[in-house]
Amino acid sequence: MQMTGDETAPQKALVEFREIGKTYPNGTVALRNVSFQVIEGDILAVCGENGAGKSTLMKILAGIEQPTQGTIHYEGRQKRIADPNVAGDMGIGMVHQHFSLIRSLSVAENLALGQEPRRGLLIDRRAAADRVRELAQKFSLDVDPETKVGSLSVAAQQKVEILKALSRNTRLLILDEPSAVLTPQETQELFEQLRSLRARGVTIIFISHKLHEVRALANRITVIRSGEVVEDGVLSEMSDAAISKLVMGVDVTRASRNQRDLSAATPVVVVKKATVATGDSDRRIDAIDLTIRAGEILGIAGVDGSGQEGVVDLLCGNVQPDEGDISLLGRPMALATTLDWRRAGMAHLPGDRFQIGGAPHMSLVDNVMAGSHRDKQFTRGPFLRVDAMVARTNELIKTFNVRCLGPREPLNSLSGGNAQKLVAAREFSSNPKFLIVNQPTRGIDVAAAAMIHGELLRLSQNGTAILLVTSDLDELLQLSDRVAVMFDGRIAVVLENDGLTPERLGPYMLGLEKAS
Amino acid sequence: MIRSAFASTAITVGFCLFVLLVVLVPVALLYPEPGEVLSRFLLGPFEKTRYMGNIVELATPSMLTALAVVLMFRCGAFNLGVEGSFFLGGLTTAAMVLWMPLPPLVGIPLALLAGAIVGSLVCGIPGIVKATTGASELVSSLMLNYAAVFIGLFVLNYYLRDPTAAMLSSDRFPAEYRFESLIPRTRIHIGSIVAVVACIIGAIYLNRTSQGLEVRISGTGNDFSRHLGLNSVALNIRIQVIGGMIAAFAGGIEMLGLYSRFTWQNTTGNGWTGVIVAIIARDNPILIIPAALFIGYLQVGGDLVSRAFGVPTEIVSLIQALVMICVTSVAIFQHPALRKFVQGNRGEAAQ
Repeated sequence: MQMTGDETAPQKALVEFREIGKTYPNGTVALRNVSFQVIEGDILAVCGENGAGKSTLMKILAGIEQPTQGTIHYEGRQKRIADPNVAGDMGIGMVHQHFSLIRSLSVAENLALGQEPRRGLLIDRRAAADRVRELAQKFSLDVDPETKVGSLSVAAQQKVEILKALSRNTRLLILDEPSAVLTPQETQELFEQLRSLRARGVTIIFISHKLHEVRALANRITVIRSGEVVEDGVLSEMSDAAISKLVMGVDVTRASRNQRDLSAATPVVVVKKATVATGDSDRRIDAIDLTIRAGEILGIAGVDGSGQEGVVDLLCGNVQPDEGDISLLGRPMALATTLDWRRAGMAHLPGDRFQIGGAPHMSLVDNVMAGSHRDKQFTRGPFLRVDAMVARTNELIKTFNVRCLGPREPLNSLSGGNAQKLVAAREFSSNPKFLIVNQPTRGIDVAAAAMIHGELLRLSQNGTAILLVTSDLDELLQLSDRVAVMFDGRIAVVLENDGLTPERLGPYMLGLEKAS
Repeated sequence: MIRSAFASTAITVGFCLFVLLVVLVPVALLYPEPGEVLSRFLLGPFEKTRYMGNIVELATPSMLTALAVVLMFRCGAFNLGVEGSFFLGGLTTAAMVLWMPLPPLVGIPLALLAGAIVGSLVCGIPGIVKATTGASELVSSLMLNYAAVFIGLFVLNYYLRDPTAAMLSSDRFPAEYRFESLIPRTRIHIGSIVAVVACIIGAIYLNRTSQGLEVRISGTGNDFSRHLGLNSVALNIRIQVIGGMIAAFAGGIEMLGLYSRFTWQNTTGNGWTGVIVAIIARDNPILIIPAALFIGYLQVGGDLVSRAFGVPTEIVSLIQALVMICVTSVAIFQHPALRKFVQGNRGEAAQ
């Protein structure tokens, strides 16, 4: 372990981990000899792969889990953080990746939960609301205390979570992958808020997979790999390559695309003047023209809600166009249902792996085989050949490197990245002629993302036409042969990706420029 | 997954025992011989072959209605038409037996089939209405139960009634149509075997067939089945018709197994018991068998203490209700379809 510090600034350790170890009863070692300091007033990024142990460490600090070894020192004194209440009293607040808010209660009620202001036997609602306003003003996080949490956007819910974490004189705020559920714009706003919190003297620890976010926000970084601290230091002294090498343990070979000329390749999907004027306003599309050729990856860029979801709905058969034509390999598809699309060779990796892409409570076998459960290979008459299904599932688990206990585990026992790999395994293994991928790597770790990128490029080399919808511009520009930028339900421009930059796309995404 | 299924079964058994004691002990203490009341309730049902026979007789119809409920719940349809299906199934089977001069070997299956088809309407119609108009199958099936009863009473009163009988009932069934008792000193009939076999077939259907997989996928919510391109609307209707047929078939079996005339003047409660059994069995067809026997055992035990000590039989309902509350409160957190239903629409993920 190497300790590098910013020698010029006066430093005081707010938290010090001393040889923290955590072994679960089943023998899994989550953390081993973890020692480092959290400097007061810093924004510390904790990086590492899924399952590296960073969340466990943060849960120990927040009192949710207990270490099996080692001690935590807070403001120089050894402390035992027996439960989250103790952590709260000490001034430690944590914002979890999955929100712990009650949707049917108002913001004020959620914040008051567990520490309700009372008037006699009753809860003093006005005092609760006033407290929220006061807090919101103090930290300039703008929320209305009376609104029901369920009716708030994800970004606003996160603000409420942060307020909740800050509500007890919090000096140390822990955020577990705060940007995983946010759009890039919302992430920018969140980062502004976190910076202003820091200016108010709150120390921040945040867990992230995304290097550019770490760079944008943090000043220190701690890298955890397989339960051990492999790096701890000042961020500006480290290169991206060095960090990703530390996170992964090896150099990440970023899958990269070869520049190809695909203008002669067969058009697989052709969309002509397709319009969908009904449904949610951010899913409407207006006179879309698109051609995706065999072996081509067509990326769709745009500010969220510019109609990308509408194009996905249209091309997977969720909706039929009110006007216009679609064809897949020359076959008319304007009236096709999802089943027709699938039969014609479409596959689809959806944006939400637990709601749309899979059934969280069903087994991995069921999740992988769903869709091919009528194939001759896996049936005998009306019956399923369970042995063949399990064998196939094991095979896919192996090829796609899905970390799990076995094929009979439910899908929701997997981490986000592994669940995504499993859903991708199902969709990619059907040898699709046309593949839709929607936010393929949102919220998953670098290694899983690299694996999915590699698979996408391999499929495109084998002639699959791919539609890539993503709000991650790096990903978009890394993979796409051409980029269509959408604005307000229309395609603003289609650009060849010969060295495209985000700056080039920006004006089209914001509707400032249109193709002439 | 197997371990988790075992764990939830163990939890359920634990709840049942816990509730049993929490209700029984205070009630027993009200009587001069509390120990007697307890042992009569808990051990009495096993004292005589006849009592054990009663358990099986009571469990038989609820196994089948529970199977119907489980199939529909697993497909995501909260259809409570089993009560009405059971009633109409019994009525139609009775009418067929009385009106059709056929040898029993042909007549009995035909009467049961006719009962199943007619009775399936009570579950099937709400399914179709849901698919075409979006009206909640829960509400329309509940209402249709009443319609089924009044249609049944109309038919009974005007077409089946035995004018010579002192009460409102049909003519006597010909003796050769009635199921024989399989075990002496009990009224256990072939229907019990049919019910057990049906539950096993139900388990195989859900877990080992392509369509069963589609049912389970469809039950987890529409987004995933739509993503896969499954036609879950058609599947939903089909399952509700099948569920109605099973419940109505149970009504026919009950009629021929335990009755000599059609005498029902209201719904029998076997459908509701089926819902209770389905919930205790946690939507698992195999677990329906012990769950139905457990409810039968409670009813026999309650009956015995009521006769011997005058303990009100309502305590059985009380135990059932508390078991239901315990089991469902856990199930709400675990069962995605039920959770979705309770929350009204798409709730957030479980974590």
